[in-house]
Amino acid sequence: MKSFKIFILSLILGAGSAHAQFTKAELQVSGLTCSMCSKATEKALRTLDFVGDIKTDLNRNVFVITFKSTSPVNLGQISKKVQNAGFSVNNLKATFNFNSVKLNSNSFSYHGDTYMVVNGANKPLTGPVAVTVVDKGFAPSSVYKKYAGQTPDGFKAGKLYRIVI
Amino acid sequence: MIRYIFIALLLLSGAIPVLGQELYVNTEPASNMATRSLGIRLENQGFDKNDFKNRTSLELMYGASKNLMVHTTFYASNYYQPGQRFEGISAYAKYRFLAIDSVQRHFRGAIFAKVASISNPLNNQEITLEGDNSGIQGGVVFTQLLHKVALSASGGYLRAFDNRGAYSLPVNNSRDEVFYTLSAGYLLFPEIYRDYTQVNVNLYAELLGKTNPGYGQSYLDAAPAVQFIFNSVFRVDVSYRAPLYNHMRRNSQNTYLLRLEYNFFNVF
Repeated sequence: MKSFKIFILSLILGAGSAHAQFTKAELQVSGLTCSMCSKATEKALRTLDFVGDIKTDLNRNVFVITFKSTSPVNLGQISKKVQNAGFSVNNLKATFNFNSVKLNSNSFSYHGDTYMVVNGANKPLTGPVAVTVVDKGFAPSSVYKKYAGQTPDGFKAGKLYRIVI
Repeated sequence: MIRYIFIALLLLSGAIPVLGQELYVNTEPASNMATRSLGIRLENQGFDKNDFKNRTSLELMYGASKNLMVHTTFYASNYYQPGQRFEGISAYAKYRFLAIDSVQRHFRGAIFAKVASISNPLNNQEITLEGDNSGIQGGVVFTQLLHKVALSASGGYLRAFDNRGAYSLPVNNSRDEVFYTLSAGYLLFPEIYRDYTQVNVNLYAELLGKTNPGYGQSYLDAAPAVQFIFNSVFRVDVSYRAPLYNHMRRNSQNTYLLRLEYNFFNVF
């Protein structure tokens, strides 16, 4: 029984540490100026099951999101919630822990999604690193258009995030 | 008339250092409410011409998607008889077709439509779907927000039906009306946002105009307004509209407006 408990515990911890690769994100929302609008956006973000806490800078329209270690993080859902609140993501900078991540040339996989490092992959990727998503829905068009053509070798299907280190 | 418009435009734009908001009191901006949020408005408008008359309305607003929001409003007044009476309902939908966002600024465009079913005698020349007429309305609105500056312009067309209760539109009345608005908002407080509990104070200046084409009937009202927002969810609006010029028989001349609005986020 005791060994079973340890087995369950290790499963939970194992799962937890696997999800914990994304720890936090700094989200800047564009189009916002009223505190009512910020509140609506924050309340929408809080409905996401992987969002732990949010600290908001109302002057800079920045939401600092702490992720729960127990649920996989879906960056696409963050963009969707912001858009549904009536606004756009200007910048999303997420902290990702590269320990125990195997990079396949310039891309890696996280919960079925593919992340491609389009700029800055020459730096050593260990420990927590801030990555900025440069896809449509996460950056102004002048930014995402610059990287939209890049696709990792052998990429077939699924969600692809292009990131800059 | 041109002179009045010019003076009004000066007041709206140049003369005051414009810092603004787009939660207009007498018009709707091109922006929508957040998806799955519900707003409830309780409003009272009125005037004192020989008798004090007032109308109360209850409005429910819902953000259906990022581009679509819908309103339903119920009206009651003593405008057409000595006592208060339920007059009818209206429904409104607004579809945002354009949104260009960057940090603390945006440009948005939306189309909107409204339909009203009202039971009241028809003795005014103005067509309004806010409790006076049964009819339909369509229009377009553009809103530009530059940090704290917000400007909005809208225009459109109204068509009056006969009112419910066998109230026919008099033969000499126009069934068609054109409307146009120009709004500016100014954020007075807070100067620096710290948290959601700070009281926001916004000032607005709006121009509200209507014309009955071919009837020589038109007006242009100036409608200043002040707005308080508490706890980022509860809004109090106070406004008064007065004509810059008036060649139209109507109820809306020299009216006050008092509105309470509460917003619920992430419902349904």
